[in-house]
Amino acid sequence: MSKLVNVDHAIYVLVGFTGVSKAAAPIAARAKVILVNGGGVGPDLAGLSPYYWNVIPLAPDEIKTIVPYLASRNIRRLAFIYVNDPFGNGVRQSLKAEFAKTGGAVVIEDAITPNDHQFTAIAARIRDAAPDGVYFASYGAQQAEIIKQLRDSGITLPLFTYSGANIPSVETLPEAEGLVLTTQASALSADDPVTQRFVRDWRAKYGTDPSAYNQNYYNAVRLFALLAASLEASGKPVDGDTLRAELLARRRFPLVGGEGVFDDLCDISMKIVVNRVEKGKLIPIA
Amino acid sequence: MLLLQLVINGLESGLLYALTAVGFALIFGATRIFHFAHGATYALAGYGFVLGERLGLGPVISVGLAFGAAVGFGLFIGEAVYRPIERSRGAFFTLFVAAFGMVIVVQSLLELTFGRAYVVVSSPLSRAEPWGGLYIAPLFWISLATAALLFGGLALFLKASPYGVALRALADSRFLVRVYGLSELRLSRLAFALGSALTVPGAVLGALSSGLTPSVGAHIMLVSLTAAVVGGIGSMPGAALAGILLGLVESLVGAVLDTEWSEASGFVLLFLFILLRPQGLFGAEVKR
Repeated sequence: MSKLVNVDHAIYVLVGFTGVSKAAAPIAARAKVILVNGGGVGPDLAGLSPYYWNVIPLAPDEIKTIVPYLASRNIRRLAFIYVNDPFGNGVRQSLKAEFAKTGGAVVIEDAITPNDHQFTAIAARIRDAAPDGVYFASYGAQQAEIIKQLRDSGITLPLFTYSGANIPSVETLPEAEGLVLTTQASALSADDPVTQRFVRDWRAKYGTDPSAYNQNYYNAVRLFALLAASLEASGKPVDGDTLRAELLARRRFPLVGGEGVFDDLCDISMKIVVNRVEKGKLIPIA
Repeated sequence: MLLLQLVINGLESGLLYALTAVGFALIFGATRIFHFAHGATYALAGYGFVLGERLGLGPVISVGLAFGAAVGFGLFIGEAVYRPIERSRGAFFTLFVAAFGMVIVVQSLLELTFGRAYVVVSSPLSRAEPWGGLYIAPLFWISLATAALLFGGLALFLKASPYGVALRALADSRFLVRVYGLSELRLSRLAFALGSALTVPGAVLGALSSGLTPSVGAHIMLVSLTAAVVGGIGSMPGAALAGILLGLVESLVGAVLDTEWSEASGFVLLFLFILLRPQGLFGAEVKR
């Protein structure tokens, strides 16, 4: 981040991951450089600094969506596996607080590090605690390892997680069949011209459907283009302060997935859906 | 029942650690080279197996690919990296840094070829079935049989075969090996080939059970290193026993602490040995 600010003199930087965001935000704030997050969902990313924006709904939004779903499925006793970092701890706080409101309880929890690869011991402990389901909050390749080892260890309980599992290596894992995860609502079916063009061009270039992350980072770049064009048209300089002022003045932007609306903390609000993995694809179920 | 399940889980991973650690101990014992890139050999063997399976070559040819990748890399690094450094009287630290560099090169190559995502070969063998209140996968029995077969075979080879005896002699005294007219170079190559081949069972079983990422080599190397020190530097029975012990400790710690402490528990064991029994389980005590 220091290099981007001091050597490259960037004024607008795309960022991901909760821990990375929290480390980079003070450097960006000092230099009044805009950081736009399209991947990290840790709860404390909201309002991290005036120059830190989120174009992705954060974990509390996803937790608020999954908890009523858990209650509707009569899941009262939950096992919880989380990465012991700012993201995982944030999810832990939100989940325990929201779940308690519905009368549910986390009966067993296990902290892991991003470098852990062995989860058979936690599988044995989960079986011993006899919960109704398992919620895990990890990221990247580790999620697939958790799912595979839980299933291989004979854990047949329903598995729940957040949008971080919306990656091919998880969705195509045979053991992930039936995994329930929250994501922002898919942009693919939106009928506005911006979304249609993005989806059409993405499919033509990569031969696949774009993921939520592809959508978010495209939106982050598009947002810059819209703000910069507007600033240049009115003869103003394009820098951190003017970009922020312009965002707060306009608030609503035509983005992929429909109109993006930003709040006072410069965070986007979006609809969250509950999905189930079926034959390698996400199927919205609630 | 929980403790017994954790023992089974720990034994399964411990057996795989043991096989890899014995390979490391064999190479170190015979060549005195601290083969830090042994974890990279494991990663290459695992990805060789994955590649074969993805190409639909069948398990036998895929395991053959894994052996080819492991032994080929072991011989390559011995000849192209360690020997030139040794010829120029490179220090222990130079060898260590070169091996560390190779670990990074291999990891990067695997990332470029296979991507950074998790890869696994799906197999019904990894799925645990209820077994008298416990959950045991067929892979557990396969690991047990493989380890018993390989440890027995290796012990027999080192005791009864002329090459095995020569390898043990090389570990004892390079000078006497030369006096007896044996080729130190050929024996070193044999040690690298054999030690690298010993990573294959663990890598293949790992690819079938816990899966692989390009960075898996770093974890395996730490385990091998810890097992080698705990077992007694250069001692193969010690490394095997220490590998199993590490697997058990990593698993059993889960009964009282979170999973995040399991890897650290191995290092606690290492520190305890360094403090209380620095020669390791089977290492000889050296008088000052």
